[in-house]
Amino acid sequence: MAESISLRRGLAVLIAAGVLLAAGSAGASGAGSPPAAAAAHGQAPPALSPDGRPPVQFIAADPRDLAEVPETYELAAENALFQLYANPETLAFKVVDRRSGYIWHSNLDEKEEEDRLNRTWTAFAQSGISIDYLDRQAGEERNSVTNAEHTTEFALTGDGFEAAVTFTDPSITIIVRVTLDANGVRVDIPFESIEENDPAFKLGLLYVYPFFGATRGGRIPGYMFIPDGAGSLIRFADETKAHNVFYGRYYGADLGMITYLPYDPTVRRPFRISIPVIGMVHGEKENAYIAVVEKGASYGQIVAHPSGIITNFNFLYNSFIYNQSYFQSTNRSGAGVTTLQQNTNAFDISIHYRFLTGEDGDYVGMARSYQKYLVDRGILAKVEDPGADIGISLVFLGGEKEKVLFWHRLIPMTTVEQMAAILDDLGLRNTDVVYYGWQPLGASSMPPDSLKIDRRLGSEGEVRALAEAIRTEGGNFYLYYHPQAAFFEEKGYSPRYDLAMSISRQNLGSYTYYLNLAAVTERFTGLSEDVGTILSGGLALDGIGSTLYSDFKPGHFLNREDAIAAYQELLAGMGSRASFFNPNDYAFEFMRAYYDMPIFTSGYIYATDTVPFLQIVLSGYVPFYGAPMNFSSNVREDLLKHIDFGVYPAYYLTQEITAQILNTPSSWIYTSSYGQWGQEIKETYAWLNALLGPVKGQSIVEREQLRDGVFATTYSNGMRIVVNYTDRPFQLDDLVVDARNALIQDAGQ
Amino acid sequence: MRRKFAIALTAALLALVTTRASADAPYTTWTSGPGGYLSMTQDAYSPVAEVDLPVSGPEDMFVTPHGVLYVADTGNGRIVKLVDFQEVASYGEDVLESPTGIFVDGEGVMYIADAKKSTIVILDADGNLVNEFGRPVEPLFGRNREFLPRKIAVDARQNLYIISEGSVNGIVQMNTNGNFIGYFGANTAQMSLKMILQRMFLTQEQLDQFIRNEAASPSNITIDHQAMVYTVTAGTSFEKSIRRFTISGKNILPEIYWSSTAFRDLVVSENGLLLAVAADGVIFEYNLDGTMLFAFGATDTGDQRLGTLTNPVAIERYGDFVYILDKDKNAVVVYLATEFARLVHEGIRLYTEGYYVEAMPYFEQVLDYNGSFIMAYQAIADAHFKQRDYAGALTAYRYAEDRNGYSEAFWELRNEVLQQYLSQALMWLLVLGVAQNVGTRLDRRYDYLDPIRKRIADLKQFRFVDDFLFMFRFIKQPADSFYYIKKDLRGSLKFALLVYAWIVAVRILSLYVTGFVFNPNPVLAYIRVEDEAVYALLLLFIWNAANYLVSTISDGEGRVRDVVIGTAYSLFPYALFALPIALISNVLTLNEVFIYTFSLNVVWAWTGILLFIMVKEVHNYTFSETVRNVLVTFFTMGLFVLTGYILYVLFNQLFDFVSAIFQEVRLRG
Repeated sequence: MAESISLRRGLAVLIAAGVLLAAGSAGASGAGSPPAAAAAHGQAPPALSPDGRPPVQFIAADPRDLAEVPETYELAAENALFQLYANPETLAFKVVDRRSGYIWHSNLDEKEEEDRLNRTWTAFAQSGISIDYLDRQAGEERNSVTNAEHTTEFALTGDGFEAAVTFTDPSITIIVRVTLDANGVRVDIPFESIEENDPAFKLGLLYVYPFFGATRGGRIPGYMFIPDGAGSLIRFADETKAHNVFYGRYYGADLGMITYLPYDPTVRRPFRISIPVIGMVHGEKENAYIAVVEKGASYGQIVAHPSGIITNFNFLYNSFIYNQSYFQSTNRSGAGVTTLQQNTNAFDISIHYRFLTGEDGDYVGMARSYQKYLVDRGILAKVEDPGADIGISLVFLGGEKEKVLFWHRLIPMTTVEQMAAILDDLGLRNTDVVYYGWQPLGASSMPPDSLKIDRRLGSEGEVRALAEAIRTEGGNFYLYYHPQAAFFEEKGYSPRYDLAMSISRQNLGSYTYYLNLAAVTERFTGLSEDVGTILSGGLALDGIGSTLYSDFKPGHFLNREDAIAAYQELLAGMGSRASFFNPNDYAFEFMRAYYDMPIFTSGYIYATDTVPFLQIVLSGYVPFYGAPMNFSSNVREDLLKHIDFGVYPAYYLTQEITAQILNTPSSWIYTSSYGQWGQEIKETYAWLNALLGPVKGQSIVEREQLRDGVFATTYSNGMRIVVNYTDRPFQLDDLVVDARNALIQDAGQ
Repeated sequence: MRRKFAIALTAALLALVTTRASADAPYTTWTSGPGGYLSMTQDAYSPVAEVDLPVSGPEDMFVTPHGVLYVADTGNGRIVKLVDFQEVASYGEDVLESPTGIFVDGEGVMYIADAKKSTIVILDADGNLVNEFGRPVEPLFGRNREFLPRKIAVDARQNLYIISEGSVNGIVQMNTNGNFIGYFGANTAQMSLKMILQRMFLTQEQLDQFIRNEAASPSNITIDHQAMVYTVTAGTSFEKSIRRFTISGKNILPEIYWSSTAFRDLVVSENGLLLAVAADGVIFEYNLDGTMLFAFGATDTGDQRLGTLTNPVAIERYGDFVYILDKDKNAVVVYLATEFARLVHEGIRLYTEGYYVEAMPYFEQVLDYNGSFIMAYQAIADAHFKQRDYAGALTAYRYAEDRNGYSEAFWELRNEVLQQYLSQALMWLLVLGVAQNVGTRLDRRYDYLDPIRKRIADLKQFRFVDDFLFMFRFIKQPADSFYYIKKDLRGSLKFALLVYAWIVAVRILSLYVTGFVFNPNPVLAYIRVEDEAVYALLLLFIWNAANYLVSTISDGEGRVRDVVIGTAYSLFPYALFALPIALISNVLTLNEVFIYTFSLNVVWAWTGILLFIMVKEVHNYTFSETVRNVLVTFFTMGLFVLTGYILYVLFNQLFDFVSAIFQEVRLRG
């Protein structure tokens, strides 16, 4: 409540302070040619934009700042929508959005009294590029362009500028290339441009335009977006509950550097950051940007500072890891030394800043902009599905093994025949069926590298018949497969040759080990071909789309960027269709369904909103299914969330009672029997299908909060779904949304 | 159930629940699962909000039945009253220095323990001072006892139960005038073996130098609607860290299996649920039998995820909400019971009140949610038992791993069978007896069984058969029989090895076939067959080796062969009878536990005696020589194990050393 008041007040301030300086006129507007740009140096922007629209009125991000580009900036490039100005000293740039006149800034120009910036932080805020470098003992030191001794070679390139910065002390050179394009600005830092000339020092972290779009406290309304879970917003405010900054590594931690993730069974880990996108909104429905990390995301990380931690600024940025220290144990009891990695991580950086204005200036617009980006690049393609009914994901556990005296025996939980009977009984079309634990001896044994179904579950012919039956009904059939996993103490792989190795020369992982690329390739290719040719089904892939590790096995070194390329090659060449469990963006291209779609966030207390960012991005293109509802503790609320976010339901199922696998590694599936869940599934599907069916294959175009706990989501065909999470009915024009219920209406009426 | 939830939701809480941010719980939730293990389950409580309070370092809070929150603002020396988390009043600024405990009664009278002033302060509902008093003057309190009040609870008759820091005599009980009534519910001091040895061998002066062995004093207290007092004690053994007292001060809560040693506070609700929070932010929920229902929670490691705790000091329940006061955050973290937990709670409420049958549908639904929810099986089993559905009860008790319940249900079932068939069975026995008698007589006259006897005699020519039959000779003439072995007359090494294999097989099989009531492994999947086989073989091997080696240096006559064969034959009672006993245990109940243990003991004793006779005969010892030999053999066996262990450790060290050198060379070279 208090928040929305301050939000409104902020708006008022913005309007009141809208003493918008009209731009003086200047002759040159020769779209981006260097002489013209040079002529524009120190000048106010042109009176007419190239398409002859009226003069642009400039708007500064901070209402107390002058709405103009300072003298120290020169025009580096311009096009129909934007102008790019650069400061050769600090490498800062400003982008003027001609549609609104809004000036985006990459750096802090003027320090204010209450900014709480010390000298290091001031330099950090004013510099385009800062680095942390490491000495031999892994000691860290930070250098920013504005406070460290350095030399710069600055040049305009016609469509932007290029600067080579050499930090004198550590003798490290970096070339930054900033170019303007039709959608915004691209920042490139190619790896071959980086020189580490002093063997005593290594480049540790590189901070790229950390103050891009930074705002002071709650001075203007808006928020930062971080891709945590479904999507998370941190609204600007003077006070924050945060004590620490938000820090998030794209695609999760690199197991190659840490061997395994510390495991605490009582803790549910925060969500992995699966898309390399951050963004900010300056005034809702006014101005926004997203920054997509096109290259180098696997070594990138997000840092988000809500105002009030250390400084008075809200800012978030990407930083990139080139060298890291790691702990090398020298004996089994754990003694050892901390040392630096041998070779600098090799990867190019490319960040694309895309600017949005007007109606698009909110998280929906941001998500749609990212969606468009993915579609334009051919990464996101529409999965055609002519049926009118929504999908439902059913994961069947085939079998699991148990130990009898000295041997293992399969406990059949759902045979192929039983699976067919269950599907018959459900009578649903468009089922998305995943068969888990199909391999000989079931779920916790190593899957074979060719199609071999445990004969107690069914024959190849039976599976093929079922797969075909499901397809003719409009559904899909997948075999579950985790191509990276090597189970502890299982036969079927060689711990010596097949496993990936961490930098400290240990096998990667614990209990579940990770295979190296050669082993993954061999197994994956064999199985995917069989599944494609024999079954004409697909693989539901776990791991390969979500877990990314470097491999330090001597002679087979593979960094995370190489791993992405190799996985993409593997997936592109696979002979069958693929669906993924909670994949990272690099798997989107091959994805026909998305499972385990997060509908929550990790719950950082300074994050103010949970928004369906990921859902908006994929909506209308790829069907996505939530986490299995078996494990939900608030079924009604979670289903409302499914409806609100357009997520299809998912269930784990077995024919046999779950008690049979109580004492096996699959005991985490603590409820699954069809006898218990069948009725529930039918009812849930009917309810969700009635609400989500009419918007099947449609994109989300708008979302608003009607009241505390009441949300409306509009789709591209004009249908609107209103979800009421509260315990009171909600009056919507002449309709009533019942308590804890939802309805669909045609918003066009 | 739903209606109750609606009442509990005030406008402010409603706003909390429906905020724009919805998050995953930062913790997983666990329940008592099969085999005495924890098993993961759906979330029982979702974190809802973290509400900052206008206080500094608060140490206690109290929630009235109407949801009014009183917080002991320890740092600012006052009591804050909050409605919907908004401060509405502040009391006692002029009397209090650093309040650490608060209790509010039905009239709104505040009872406050002030740690710095070491007094109890009573304020009326408007904050006027009613009474303030310090250390009791009564001699009964103890001359040298200090009075350091920290926490307080008050019952309906206005008896004050005060937690005084370091009070080894238990809770201090006083009345509102400041008169000392008595001590209540002291913990007992724990005596370890080390302490006992110290007491035996050390002088009084030396003993005085040690810290005196005193009972841990309780660290927090609560009182339920039936005036039952509950305490948590930090730093004591975890089974006893939560206690529930009768009016007379007797602890009636059974030992708790899943618990913490660092509990900070607890709360008991009217529907029979006990919640306790530990210093590491883990929250445990129990029913009043001490069965753990849920454990969840996580420490805030700097992530600042909603629902993690830094320094929890107090816990309260309000309807389906749980409030936890965090001293370092100066905030209340609010959790809300999920649909799943509400189902469990409703079942527990009925079950606790004795409505077993009414509770059953709830627990059946709980099992739909989670098939490893042991508590639900227990409740369902009890309901079946009450409805005289003993077969149903038996299965459910088996899942619940309740040996007593299983045994009782089985007794009932067996009784039915016995009543139905006993007369018939007796009849048949009689018929069989007569038939056998007649048969024997006929045989004596006509010898028509002779061909069979001849067959057996023929079979005896086979060595193995003879070896086998030789075993039965040990029943009547053990000493003579060992002499046969020694003289190579009967018995063979091959057959001895067969007996050993048989023994290992019997050992493993009996683990599987022993009836549930008597089986130490409730879950057969947890039996580690390889280990059991290796242990048994190792024991047999060490015994043989040690006995032979010891005997050769103490004038024993036996050869290796004699010892090995002799030992095998000595073990025949175990080989023959262990399995039948295990099988019989399936039809016994706890009422007949004597039959089971006695027969097992007989087998072991018999085996022991045979071994003893074997040593005596094979080595040709006198009685005293035999005793000495057996003892020395045991000692040698011990030495074998010790040597093996030392060698293992040494080689491990050597391996570490060499591999460390290689690693260092590779890294630095």
